[in-house]
Amino acid sequence: MRGLASGVRGAWWYTVSAILFFELVLVLTWTATLFQGGVPSVGVGAGAVAIGGLLWCASTLPLLSAYRHRTGDPTAVQWRTVLAPIVIAVGYGVLAFALSGSWLLLVVPVAQSVQLLDWPRAVRLRMVLAVTALLACLWVIDANGLVSASSDSANGYFATGFLSAALPLMTVLSLWWWDVLIALDRARVSEARLAATQERLNLATDVHDLQGHHLQVVALQLELTERLLQGDDHAAALEQLQAARVSVDEARQGTRDLATRFRSVPLRDELANARDLLRAAGIAAETVVDANADDAPASVFGPVIRETTTNVLRHGGGRHTTLRLARSGDLWRYEITNDTDAAVYTPGSQRVIPGRERTGLDGLARRAKEVGGTLEIVAGEKDFTVIVTVPVSEVATR
Amino acid sequence: MTDGSTKIRVLIADDEAMIRSALAALLRLEGDIDVIAECSDGAEAVEAAERLKPDVCLLDLEMPGLDGVEVAERLRRTVTTRFVIVTRHARPGVLRRALAAGVAGFLPKSRDAGEVAAVIRQVAAGGRYIDPEIAADALSDERCPLTNRELDVLRLGSNGATTAQIARALSLAPGTVRNHISAILTKLSVDTRQQAAIMARERGWI
Repeated sequence: MRGLASGVRGAWWYTVSAILFFELVLVLTWTATLFQGGVPSVGVGAGAVAIGGLLWCASTLPLLSAYRHRTGDPTAVQWRTVLAPIVIAVGYGVLAFALSGSWLLLVVPVAQSVQLLDWPRAVRLRMVLAVTALLACLWVIDANGLVSASSDSANGYFATGFLSAALPLMTVLSLWWWDVLIALDRARVSEARLAATQERLNLATDVHDLQGHHLQVVALQLELTERLLQGDDHAAALEQLQAARVSVDEARQGTRDLATRFRSVPLRDELANARDLLRAAGIAAETVVDANADDAPASVFGPVIRETTTNVLRHGGGRHTTLRLARSGDLWRYEITNDTDAAVYTPGSQRVIPGRERTGLDGLARRAKEVGGTLEIVAGEKDFTVIVTVPVSEVATR
Repeated sequence: MTDGSTKIRVLIADDEAMIRSALAALLRLEGDIDVIAECSDGAEAVEAAERLKPDVCLLDLEMPGLDGVEVAERLRRTVTTRFVIVTRHARPGVLRRALAAGVAGFLPKSRDAGEVAAVIRQVAAGGRYIDPEIAADALSDERCPLTNRELDVLRLGSNGATTAQIARALSLAPGTVRNHISAILTKLSVDTRQQAAIMARERGWI
């Protein structure tokens, strides 16, 4: 999800710089044209047009930013954000018109700024076509009136006029391209969701089959119990009842296995979840995790993290826990340390590990050994540490 | 909390009457446990616990009105008692919420009464018990991609606050709130803030 978002961000900056580049080139062309053209007080006028142009270009940035952060709310245009840039565009147009007498310069800044507002698609299309037509007319008027006075710059004015008339259209095309990208991005996400939904439907079928099977077994076992009780065979009836309970538990476990079949998160997330849980339980928990820890074998470390975190949560005596997962040389090394509560375990006494917990750790040790790793338990006077190492090359990452 | 001679006084709250009465009957068969109240919803449990001051409250997570964790949150301020939550399906984030509310035991409903009794004893003695299944689920929760500020915005927005109201509540500029909302929509790949709120609630982020 985050990867997609950053991809879109790159495309956004590309779009913004393209639009801004068009605008800057246009301001530059206007300035150059004014320098060449036979306008009175050339230097001052061209300079003012250049500086005003830069200001106007800058004023379009908030508009672009507002365009990107559209929330899809029907509240339409946020006038407070929009008003200042539009006023600047109008002001710049009037200034440029006063200095140059060009109708294009009067209209283009505000025409461009208005394109950047969040219009409904149909409105935007009609508007940009109308604006482009209007600019084309103004271009003709300008070319006939203003520039024909100095025929030598008529050729130069062609470029200026074309750029001016085409700017809104190019801008709208760029924004349209951006909208298409966003739509594609969303489509990709929807497709992934659709696949997940399909998977859920398959799961529902599997659950139905499984439950149907187990319910039938239980029904038969209960029927048998009933007959046995009628025949006063209490011992056999009890046996069937116990068998029925086992069947029910199998059904439950089977359902759970189905539901968690595809459920896995990267190790870094799992460690972060562990830290949050421990903190919620009032234990000061820290994690020290390598940036590439997701490459560690999750099949080994996943159960290790679950078991050891549960153990710390369960006896709950300690106040501090540190979880580490890092690569050192050819080994992945996971280490969890917690202090043991003095009130529960008096100093010097042997650390007692309850039976169930011990069994869990033994299972993990076997698991680690199978992939060429080790599990080590260090029971200090005030702390308790479990260290699991697994060779890097021995295991496929997932 | 209890010495050898007295029984552990337990309150049971579960909206499913069959399960509640069966569990109560089974627990009463244990020599050292006395079920002193059976409640059918969270509000009733709060009222009964404040009146009877049980040693342990055994609370179903999914109840109409107040859920099990909310009952624990209310009671921990008024009554000295320990809480055990049972659930059929632990939704993401719920274990974290429960631990933060001082819940000492958390187990799935599928555990038999003998195991529930053992957990009640352990919890009554001051211990904590988190079922491995519940813990494993909680560790494989999807991480929240949103920042705390974004979660604040989403939480307020999901209660129906407008952009201006959110901005005032968080002392932010309306523009900043709009930027947060747009960042939230991008991160979660959804179109509206309602969808974002639903998604975040489903996953236990808000």
